[in-house]
Amino acid sequence: MTILGETPPPGFDPVTGKRIIPNKRCLKCHGDAHEKTDTRDDGSIVDIYADPEIIKDSVHGEQACTNCHATIDRVPHRQSPEVVVGCVECHRETWDMHRNDPDEKYERLGVVMETIDAYYDSIHALPNKHDQSETNATCYDCHDAHNVGTLGSHQRDDHRLKNPEVCGECHREQLNNYRESVHGRAVLEEGDSESAVCSDCHTTHQIASPGTDQAKLAITKNCGDCHEEAQRTYFDSYHGQVHRLGYTNTAKCHDCHGSHEIKGEDDPTSEIHPSNRLENCRVCHENANDNFLTFWPHGDADDREKYPGLWFFKMFMQILILSVMAFFWVHVVLWLYREVMDRIQGKGFIEDLSRPDVVYFRRFPVVWTWIHALFAIATMTLILTGTTLLFSHTGWAKAVVVFLGGPEMEGVIHRTAAVIWLGIFLAHLTIAINNIWRNRGSFKWFGSTSMLPNWKDWEDLKSMFRWFLGRGERPEFTHWTYWQKFDYWAPFWGAAVIGSSGIMLFAPEATAIILPGWMFNIATLVHAEEALLAAIFLNSVHFFNVHFRPERFPMSTTIFTGKIPIEEFKHDHRLEYDRLVESGELDRHLVRRPSRRADLAASFITTVLIMSGLALLTLVLIGVMTKPI
Amino acid sequence: MRNETMIKKARNLLLALLLALLPIAAQSGPSGQALAFTCAGCHGTDGSSVGPSSPSIAAMDPDVFIDAMDAYKRDQRNSTIMNRIAKGYTDEQIKAMAWFFAKQKLRLHVQKTDQQLVELGKQLHDTHCEKCHEEGGRAGDSGTLAGQWIPYLDFSMQDFIEGRRPYPRKMKRKVDAAIEEQGEQAMPALIHYYGSKH
Repeated sequence: MTILGETPPPGFDPVTGKRIIPNKRCLKCHGDAHEKTDTRDDGSIVDIYADPEIIKDSVHGEQACTNCHATIDRVPHRQSPEVVVGCVECHRETWDMHRNDPDEKYERLGVVMETIDAYYDSIHALPNKHDQSETNATCYDCHDAHNVGTLGSHQRDDHRLKNPEVCGECHREQLNNYRESVHGRAVLEEGDSESAVCSDCHTTHQIASPGTDQAKLAITKNCGDCHEEAQRTYFDSYHGQVHRLGYTNTAKCHDCHGSHEIKGEDDPTSEIHPSNRLENCRVCHENANDNFLTFWPHGDADDREKYPGLWFFKMFMQILILSVMAFFWVHVVLWLYREVMDRIQGKGFIEDLSRPDVVYFRRFPVVWTWIHALFAIATMTLILTGTTLLFSHTGWAKAVVVFLGGPEMEGVIHRTAAVIWLGIFLAHLTIAINNIWRNRGSFKWFGSTSMLPNWKDWEDLKSMFRWFLGRGERPEFTHWTYWQKFDYWAPFWGAAVIGSSGIMLFAPEATAIILPGWMFNIATLVHAEEALLAAIFLNSVHFFNVHFRPERFPMSTTIFTGKIPIEEFKHDHRLEYDRLVESGELDRHLVRRPSRRADLAASFITTVLIMSGLALLTLVLIGVMTKPI
Repeated sequence: MRNETMIKKARNLLLALLLALLPIAAQSGPSGQALAFTCAGCHGTDGSSVGPSSPSIAAMDPDVFIDAMDAYKRDQRNSTIMNRIAKGYTDEQIKAMAWFFAKQKLRLHVQKTDQQLVELGKQLHDTHCEKCHEEGGRAGDSGTLAGQWIPYLDFSMQDFIEGRRPYPRKMKRKVDAAIEEQGEQAMPALIHYYGSKH
């Protein structure tokens, strides 16, 4: 560069003509430990000190001061200089230059790029409410650029301990509260760098406004980074299940424990101190009474010593699930084996194509058809909406909840389906009792059409196993087989367990009027475990027994047409058939085959239900297998 | 076809001529060095002053030079004739002269000084002045003090103190502190200290 034939003098950049200010010149004033402050025009004191040793030791130690403090062109400064430091541009340029550099020292710059992007999305990068020309916070408000260290350096340890003070420059009230907290005392008084500082909960760069879901979810997740056990047990609770689905309308860590002022249980000023706890419950459960205090928010069914009741119920339910499923799956596998073997040998029930089904047996009246259809739909709806909570860790559960319109809507759907389910159950009971009452003169409790289990069922079961193993003939059955009776009676147990626990969970405040809080823990546990048993049993064992065993495959539509081909009835219920023939009653039960349209409709709805059931079974099994331990 | 070639040739020749003339056009005025020669009458050859009231401007920091010329131009700095001279130069010319003088070696003369005052001056300088006027007041972004003519330093300080020249806030603070420390001796001491440099 030349001006009227003159080139820049020494001490000036020959190309740009700009003054080169050596760091030594800056540090003459700014590095003077005896004079760390200066007085501004308005009389205010400003800290001007930058420790030369610290700068030298930082990752920026080799940089010229004016590389960052780019507005400085004169020393001494003619006016109070504007402190404008452009970190982003320099880091971007350096990264672009060294992106493919094999030297490992540049690797970290990639992380810096990510944090820059995260910062731009954060609340700190938004314009300040009071001065739109400024952001809420910029790089150097938090980073002491004169003292930036590499990963694992002593500078990082220093920063960690200083983090609350740095954030507290702006967030004063929060810092004051934090000072009183267990975290604050550990960090600020004892210098314990293991305890939580601001960025552990709020993250460093992806900081969102505390009112946003993003912030609430991040904070709860971050609490769990240290308090792993507490997070695990929290996720087992209804509060945690909803939270894990990505919603924040249930209690989160800080809702009960407080945030900055968090203290231990024994501190009388702590939010979780027994005398203050109820107030927290009442933020959401307005009418919560003292019974809420006996709820175990972190109840752990695996902790036998601390929660023996919960542990017992879990053991009981798991043994029940395992034994029922083990028994019936063995039953299924052996049955499949036997029917396949029979088929190979040309035995068993085979459709006679030269004599198409014309005569049918009326097995169910229309009312049972409707009851079963509604029951099946309600059960599947309950399984779908309920297991999203139980398996809130899965991707599918999150997608289902979004599809249904969030956890509140899901709760409405679940409760509606539950009312329908219980309604059907009670309607059925009414009809059944009414039937018995009307026929009280002739009703035989252990008659051939009775649903009550009897000794023959036990014999049939043993005979079936003998047949499965090729050690006997297939037993002949009366109107109801033992597996049909099991399917019939299982919902009674289910209704008792799921229904009673469900009602308790339906309206917690009302339940707490009469029951202690820990009943919610037990109700949540048994409700889920029993529902799991039902979901797996119905969609595997029941489907096999009714639809998938080779004699019936691909499905039986009898429950929807109400009719069974007489040949099939004869095969499956030989004793009843013989009895009806003998007594001359058979004709009263014979009907014409269903119309083509009725047949198609029944096939259609059966197909839809089976497919839905199999889909649910798949989702449930994914949930069971991927559930974090 | 032939015509086109001719036209192209003519055009190219014209362009070449224009390009050749451009640097001449750009340097049509006097060079920075030539402009600077006119200062020698008062400020000495290449800016090393030989008289007692004109300061040396050789090796002067170019920004200090420009600031001074700007202040004269705007009549913000007390002067005898510099305010009239400064108005005759463009900013570009002033900058060119600034760069010229900055590159000149400062040749100093031995001045008569009071050793006691010099020592006191050094002490005051080190305490109050060194941060801005580095290395005992050698040429820098705070001006050139070391080796300036004692009478010039004396007039200049009076201009500052008596409000005839813009007095930097920080400088005032330091000068006040020095005077508070050593009273009436402070200014002569500092001036003798700077004047003792050669």
